[in-house]
Amino acid sequence: MITVKNLYHHFELGKKGNKTTLSVLQDISFQVKEKEIVAIKGRSGSGKSTLLHLISGFIHPVKGEIWIDGTKVTDLNETDFAAFRLQHLGFIFQNFQLIPSMTAYQNVELPLILSGATQEKRKAVVQETLRKVGLENHGEHYPSELSGGQQQRVSIARALVLNPPLILADEPTGSLDSETEENLLELIQQLNEEMGITFLIITHDDQVARIGNRTIEIADGALVEGGVIHEI
Amino acid sequence: MKFKDQFQFVRQNMKKNKVRVFMTMLATAIGCAFLIVLASVGFGLHDSLIQDTMQNRAVTEIQVHGKETDGSYQALKDEDIDYFESISGVRAVTRKKQLQQSPVFSINDYQVQTMAMTTDFPSEMKAGLELSKGKLPEKDNEIVVGHDFASRLAKSNISDEELYNDQDQVKEKYQYDGDLIGKEIEMKVVQIEDNEEKSHTIPLTISGITEAPNREWFQDQNVYISESVLKEVEQFTGTNRGMITTPGQEDMSSGQQQEDSYDQVTIYAENMEVVQEISDELKNKNYASYSVVSEIQQINMIFTIIKTGLIIVGTIAVLIASIGIYNTMTMAVTERAPDIGIMKAIGAKPKTIKRIFLLESGMIGLAGAIIGTAIAFIVSMAVNIALPLILESVFKEELPPELRFSMIPWSLVLIAAGICLLVTVLSGLRPARRATQIDVLKAMRREV
Ligand SMILES: Nc1ncnc2c1ncn2[C@@H]1O[C@H](COP(=O)(O)OP(=O)(O)OP(=O)(O)O)[C@@H](O)[C@H]1O
Ligand SMILES: [Mg+2]
Repeated sequence: MITVKNLYHHFELGKKGNKTTLSVLQDISFQVKEKEIVAIKGRSGSGKSTLLHLISGFIHPVKGEIWIDGTKVTDLNETDFAAFRLQHLGFIFQNFQLIPSMTAYQNVELPLILSGATQEKRKAVVQETLRKVGLENHGEHYPSELSGGQQQRVSIARALVLNPPLILADEPTGSLDSETEENLLELIQQLNEEMGITFLIITHDDQVARIGNRTIEIADGALVEGGVIHEI
Repeated sequence: MKFKDQFQFVRQNMKKNKVRVFMTMLATAIGCAFLIVLASVGFGLHDSLIQDTMQNRAVTEIQVHGKETDGSYQALKDEDIDYFESISGVRAVTRKKQLQQSPVFSINDYQVQTMAMTTDFPSEMKAGLELSKGKLPEKDNEIVVGHDFASRLAKSNISDEELYNDQDQVKEKYQYDGDLIGKEIEMKVVQIEDNEEKSHTIPLTISGITEAPNREWFQDQNVYISESVLKEVEQFTGTNRGMITTPGQEDMSSGQQQEDSYDQVTIYAENMEVVQEISDELKNKNYASYSVVSEIQQINMIFTIIKTGLIIVGTIAVLIASIGIYNTMTMAVTERAPDIGIMKAIGAKPKTIKRIFLLESGMIGLAGAIIGTAIAFIVSMAVNIALPLILESVFKEELPPELRFSMIPWSLVLIAAGICLLVTVLSGLRPARRATQIDVLKAMRREV
C-alpha cells in the first residue's frame, strides 16, 4: 500500500543571510502492506508528523520516493495530488479539523461534494457513514455542539466517506480521555476488519500501538530497525 | 465539484457575512448606476438630436448649392443637372427657379400672397411628388398649386386680426371653399419704377393640386408656374427672376440670378445607403452639397466620443467600488483560511478554491450590476421627468417635446454590466489566488 524509499527531509530556518538547515528525516525506507494497521512511534520532535505530511503531500520531500497504491505520489503536482488525496486518502487529525460553520452532516458531505457526487447519492452515503461511526442522530449538530469523541467520529466519517484504501492519522486520540480513546480504537479496528482499510497511525502511547499489526519507531530522524510485528 | 454545489457553497459563505456582503454590493450598485446614468445622458441627447435631424429633413435628399470653380461658387446649370442624373444611385434631380418676389394670387375676392417657382415636373414626380387632384400642366398658362394653397386663400377685405386664428391659420369661414381645378386665377407682380409701384397681372388656370406633404407640420402653399410665365414676369420687371429693384440700387447686378441657372437643386438618392457615396462623389467634383446623412455621421462621431468619455468617467466609479470588493474578498479569504486549509487537506484542488472565491466576487458584481441597473432606470426616469420641469421653470421656455435627457438602451446596460462584472472579477482575482496559496499545515495550525 505504501512504499517509502530513501526519504530525506530538512527544514530551512532563519532569514536570508544566516540560514541554517534542520535535518528531520534521513534515509527513511519502509513498506506498509494492504489492510495493515501500522503505528508510528517516536519521541516528540523525532519527525513523525513530518513523515506523515510528506506521505499526505502537504509538504514535498527534499529527496526520496513515496509510492501509494501504485502511484508515485512524489511526482504529482499540487492539483493532481489534491485529486489523489480526495480519492485515496482519509485523514484523522489530533484536533479533528472540522469546519466549525458546517454541521456534522455537511462536514462529512464535503469530500463527496468535492468529488462531484449527486445530491441523492450524497444523502445516502453520508447517512450510512454517520451510522457506521454511531452518529446517525447527530447530523444536524455543529462541531461546537459535539463532544471531543463525537467530533473525532465525525472526522473519521469524513475520512471514510469516499471509501479510501488508506487512512492517515496523526495522534487521533491525543485530545481524548482514555475511555473515549478505547472506543475510538475499537472503531478503527472494526473499520480495518470490515472494510479492509489500511491505517497508518502516529501515536505517543502504547495503547494505540497495541492495536497495530506493526510498529515503526523513529528516533533522531531515522528508523529504529526491527519494528515489532504485533500479532493479534 | 459541480457548479451548482459551488454556487450553494458561495451562497452559504455570503450568508455568514450578510451586512458586509450587502454593503459591498451596494457600493458596486451605486458605481454601476452612476456609470449608466452618466452615459445615458449621452445616449439620450444623441438620440434626441438624431430624431430631430431625421424628422425635419428627408434622409435621401442631397441639396446641392453650387459648384466651386476658381474659388467662387457658380450657380448650377443644365449640364450640372445632366451630370447629377448620370451618377449611379440617383433617383431624381429636381430643380427650381424661384421668383424673387411673392406675387398676389386672386380668385374673385379671395386672395393669397405666396411664393411662385418653376420646376421640372417629370423629375418632381420621380422624386415623389404626387397630385391629389387634377393633372400636370400642359399649357404655359397652367399652374400647379401646393396642397395648402387653398387654405391660405382667404377673403381679401378682412383685417389680419380677424382673418387668422391663434394658430396663425386662416379661419375656416374665410377660407376659399370652392373647387380649384380649372379655375381662372390672377397673378399680380409688382415693380418699382421712379419711386412708383407698378403692377402687372397675368391670368392663369389651376390644373393640379399636390398631395399633402408626408410631414404633418409641413405646409406646401407654393405655386408652380411655367418657364414662359417666368419670362413674362422678367420682361415686366426688367430683372432676372422678377426681382424688385430697390430705389437707388437699380443697377446692382451682383446677387442677381443668371437666367439659365437653378436656385434649388435637390438630388434624391435611391436609398439612404448610397447618400454618402453620392455626397462623396459630389465633393470630389467640387460641388457644395448638404445631406442629413453627413450631418448624422458628424453627430454620431461626436457623440461616440462623448459617450466613450462618459463611460470612462463612470467606470472610475465602478473602479472605486471594486476597491470595496477587493477588501471584502481579502477579508473573506483571511477569515476562511482555516476552512480553506481543511478543504485543501482533504483534497480540494487549488482551481476549485480559486473558482469559489471568483464566483463569490462575481456574484457580488452581478448583484451590484442588477441593482445598479434598476437604480439607473429609476434615476433616468426621474431625470427625464424632473429636468425638463426644472429647466422650463428656470428659463420660462418650453422645451422641444422629443428632447430626452437620459436614455438607457440595452447596449448600455450590457456595456455597464460587462464593465461591472469584469472589474469585480478582476478585483477578486488576487484574493482568490491568495486563497489557493494558503499553506495547509499553517492553516490547520490556525497560523494564517
Ligand atoms: N514547518 C517547520 N519549519 C521548521 N521546522 C519544523 C517545521 N515543522 C517541524 N519542524 C521541526 O521538525 C522536527 C520534527 O517535527 P515533527 O512535528 O515531525 O515532530 P513529531 O515527531 O511529530 O513531534 P510531536 O510528537 O511532538 O508531534 C521538530 O524539531 C520541529 O521543530
Ligand atoms: Mg507530531
